[in-house]
Amino acid sequence: MAEDTLRRFREGWRIQGRVIHALMIRELHTRFGRENIGFLWIMVEPLLFAGLVATIWRFMKGPEEHGIGIIAFVITGYIPITLFRHGVSRSVSVFIANSSLMYHRQVKVLDFIFVRFLIELIGSMMAYVFIASILVLFDEFPIPTNPGLLVGGFMLYAFFVLSLCFIVAPLSEMSEVLEKFIPVTTYVMIPFSGLFTMASWLTPTMREYLLWSPFVNAMEMMRKGIWGDQITAYYNIWNPLGCSIVATVIGLALCRHVRRTLAVE
Amino acid sequence: MIICNNICKSYRHGASYKQVLRNVDLVVNPGDRVALLGRNGAGKSTLIKLIGGVEMPTSGNIKRTMSLSWPLGFAGGFQGSLTGYDNARFIARIYDREYKEMKAFVEDFTEMGRQLRMPVKTYSSGMRARLAFALSLAIEFDCYLIDEIILVGDQNFQRKCQYELFEKRKDRSMILASHSTDVVRQFCNRAYVIHNGQAEAYDDVSLAVDVYTEL
Repeated sequence: MAEDTLRRFREGWRIQGRVIHALMIRELHTRFGRENIGFLWIMVEPLLFAGLVATIWRFMKGPEEHGIGIIAFVITGYIPITLFRHGVSRSVSVFIANSSLMYHRQVKVLDFIFVRFLIELIGSMMAYVFIASILVLFDEFPIPTNPGLLVGGFMLYAFFVLSLCFIVAPLSEMSEVLEKFIPVTTYVMIPFSGLFTMASWLTPTMREYLLWSPFVNAMEMMRKGIWGDQITAYYNIWNPLGCSIVATVIGLALCRHVRRTLAVE
Repeated sequence: MIICNNICKSYRHGASYKQVLRNVDLVVNPGDRVALLGRNGAGKSTLIKLIGGVEMPTSGNIKRTMSLSWPLGFAGGFQGSLTGYDNARFIARIYDREYKEMKAFVEDFTEMGRQLRMPVKTYSSGMRARLAFALSLAIEFDCYLIDEIILVGDQNFQRKCQYELFEKRKDRSMILASHSTDVVRQFCNRAYVIHNGQAEAYDDVSLAVDVYTEL
């Protein structure tokens, strides 16, 4: 009996793996086409965003801030925030956009959300590696002192973004008002994302408030992983991890609820 | 086997509810060819969607112990912006079939030639039907869910369908929603008449057709 359950469980995973693979290819086709650089477009947007903003900051504020290179600082902040903003906005109305695929029973609604998030994740990681490698050559980006901490921070950040996608996708189905609030909310979120500042640059009271944000904790981890002893970082791994788990549970419950009432043309 | 046990389905629009199906029981045995008869809006397509797992019943449950095709109908199943070939490749991937064999079968069955390189949204409903049938026949399901679409094809297509579905795959099951009493009389061995949200089972197809005609 237990063996049978295990076998079915494995079979289920195998099918989901296949579905996610197929959905990835399909999503890349429909979004980027086969012309010119094709799917490499996924990293162009974060790349341009981070690159141009970093250039502007470089000219506005000079080469350094609090003793660390401003270009590298802006890039470490902007690549994750693009993941957040794109990830969340891509999961709005994701069920409607993919409704014709619900005709195939093995395709689950979670697959849609996960695949769109995964594409954003891969794009931002590729952009990160690409831009950092180039800047390292020009000595504008330090070689990470603790790559594990950097990757860990990025993964926690990404996990939290994914858990938010699980919530936003079904909510956008339940209420159309939400869609109008998403752009402004993700914009207002920017100061609370740890993008512009390190927690150590703030007053202790401000720092305390800001460290409630899972984004800030993950961002501090990433920057600590890059600059090491050059900076002081404040973070608690359990904050982003805990928030993500709670948000995932809520999101999965919402997805399940919405799937039951979803009307498919 | 497919067993629908006491299923209800209602849709909500704003504050108002519309109950489409009420306590429907339905059984499909292996080899059964079941017709769903009913007037427009009676709930035939809804029932097919529930059986196919496209939508979930509001209450009740559905047991499926054989492999079911997706509902073959006018809408759904394809991504309009992708070409016929790309859709075939996608479907081959998610159903774990060899794309090469599938492609050969689709080319042969649809006879659409270069059209398969065009986006599916440019297809007529007859062409869509050809593609949908070709793909589902290539996958080889135990039970086919057919929502009207069999009638949109031309003579050549109907002949092919008849041969592939009703002769070559005689042992398979089928659920067919249709307004064509001729098709139902010719191919089905059981029928359900759906009226006022309820499904009445008939073992005698001509009786069911008579009841349906009187509605």
